[in-house]
Amino acid sequence: MLLFIPTLIGLTVIVFTLLHIGGTTKLLAMYLSPRLTGAARAHVIAELDAKFHFNQPIYVQYFYWLIQILEGNWGITNTPLYSGPVTQAIEIFFPNTLILTIFAAIIIWLVSIPLGVHTAVNRDKPSDNAIRVASLTFYAMPWYLIGVVLIIIFAVYFRILPIAGTVNPSLVVGLSWYHNGISYPTHILLIDALLHGDFKVAWNAFLHLIMPSVTLSLGVMAALIRLMRGTMLETMDQDFVNFARAKGVPEKVVINLHAKNNALLPVVTNFGYLVAGLLGGVVVIEDVFSYPGIGMWLTSAMLNNDMGGIMGGTLLFGLILVTTSLFLDILYAKIDPRIRY
Amino acid sequence: MSAQETTKEDKYRELKLSMEVFFSNKSAVAGLVIFLFYFFDAIILQFFPQVMPFKHPYSLTPNYVNPIPLPPSKKFPFGTTYPGVNLLTAIIKSIRLDFWLSLAVVVPGAFLGVIIGIVATYFGGLVDEVLMRITDIVFSIPYLVLAIAIGYVLGRTLDSMMIALILVWWPLYARYARSVTLEVKEITFIEAARAAGSSKMKIMFRHILPNSLPPVFVQMSLDLGTIMLAISALAFIGFLPAANLPELGYLTSLGYNYVETAPWAMIIPGMFIVLFALAVNLMGDGFRDVIDPRRRSAL
Repeated sequence: MLLFIPTLIGLTVIVFTLLHIGGTTKLLAMYLSPRLTGAARAHVIAELDAKFHFNQPIYVQYFYWLIQILEGNWGITNTPLYSGPVTQAIEIFFPNTLILTIFAAIIIWLVSIPLGVHTAVNRDKPSDNAIRVASLTFYAMPWYLIGVVLIIIFAVYFRILPIAGTVNPSLVVGLSWYHNGISYPTHILLIDALLHGDFKVAWNAFLHLIMPSVTLSLGVMAALIRLMRGTMLETMDQDFVNFARAKGVPEKVVINLHAKNNALLPVVTNFGYLVAGLLGGVVVIEDVFSYPGIGMWLTSAMLNNDMGGIMGGTLLFGLILVTTSLFLDILYAKIDPRIRY
Repeated sequence: MSAQETTKEDKYRELKLSMEVFFSNKSAVAGLVIFLFYFFDAIILQFFPQVMPFKHPYSLTPNYVNPIPLPPSKKFPFGTTYPGVNLLTAIIKSIRLDFWLSLAVVVPGAFLGVIIGIVATYFGGLVDEVLMRITDIVFSIPYLVLAIAIGYVLGRTLDSMMIALILVWWPLYARYARSVTLEVKEITFIEAARAAGSSKMKIMFRHILPNSLPPVFVQMSLDLGTIMLAISALAFIGFLPAANLPELGYLTSLGYNYVETAPWAMIIPGMFIVLFALAVNLMGDGFRDVIDPRRRSAL
């Protein structure tokens, strides 16, 4: 838990270093609206100089920059997707990414744990081999290809799921709580529609969420099934499991109660990697499905050489991962009595 | 019989046993065969491009007269993709770039990581703590995002993609090398060397390093595939601004606007990425069996 603060400082140092390779022009570009010219531009530059102290040594500048970041002054982003303050862009795009990753995490949890247990219990049987081949294939597949295959199957061939976006545009025309592709108040269309009692829009938004979240989960699931299978096999060899069997506990209870719960421990430790995988996948998958979240914003920032978007996204993803690992450490200490901090 | 001959014979027997273990694993052999196909493709196009009937071996040849993707036919066995690129030749050209690029990321990344991991275990204490904290920090940013950020700073070119991926990948090896080294350090022969009065430096580089390298090599062969996935993902989202670059991810992205009418334009180049990643994974698993003493004794 003590490692939380140094990691956080290291993260900001990395972002700050990236900003300062090649001078302060990049930092200026991040806080300066490209539309400003002449005297107004010079005035804003002078204002920024007062905030960031560009004439001070670099390590002093770091602290001035850190103060601005802590005050929520993350710069300006200027992409076709959104142009305005970075913090506002995060406020608009992050909820979409959040619901996507939550959906994906639920699918992963519901599918990969039982499948991992199943493969371990039915070791080397046909179902085990089939699942292993499938998970290895998904593991070796680029995320966008999984998405494309799903699009071809469900959107082009069967025509049951929509290809891209968050909602069918014709459904949201003239709604009082939906402007310019942004829904209010939570910015998550599915939840907003439910709040306003518009079930038709909610159902449509849900359909739009299925393919991106399934793609995201398939990419990450493969590794988790492998891990679960490995730890489950290890656990089922241990003495306490054999003892439970020997004293006459039914096999089902042995597997689901004794072995599974203990095999879950390493999976929980690796949950941080799962979140990292999800956040990395989001970048590509939101792009494939034109789903307006942080990932698509980041890609569009990259294509438009927009410093604010790239650094905002990097800092945000870093913060999420660091915080997640902190929570996992606490959780791990709670469920594993052998670990005490 | 001199001692020299005995060791030679031992080495030969050792090699024979390793080969037996590897070739008894059918899927690993299949992986190796596929890997060799990619390898020879890369070698031939890199060093003997005149062997192949290509006018432009290092760029795609678009045909704007007929830019719409055509389905596989006799003339175009894999079909064409936008803008009129023959997929078969484009894939042959792309494999060269992808293969060398993944190698150019894995080898320096592993080198850097192993050095840092070994330095961390060698000095221990504060140095170890600081180095491992740094790997934690790099791990705390998803690698695609970090690569995008580094790409912005260095300019989005092929070289900066390579550098970005190396910078993102070394912590993995640093951690891996560290864990392997710590494991090897506990084996009795190290204690024997210490008891015999070997210096710390000698133990580190003569005894521990050679014994921790095989697992790192296995990890490297597994990572070749992962890195190709990362490269193609970066190319797909548009990291490389240069058009006409023969790269599998870029080739896949060319067909993206035609996914409804011409699915082969994405599926076929994509399959070649999957095939490589799968082959390398199976091959790596085979290598892991070779260095695992439990598997060896089972044979």
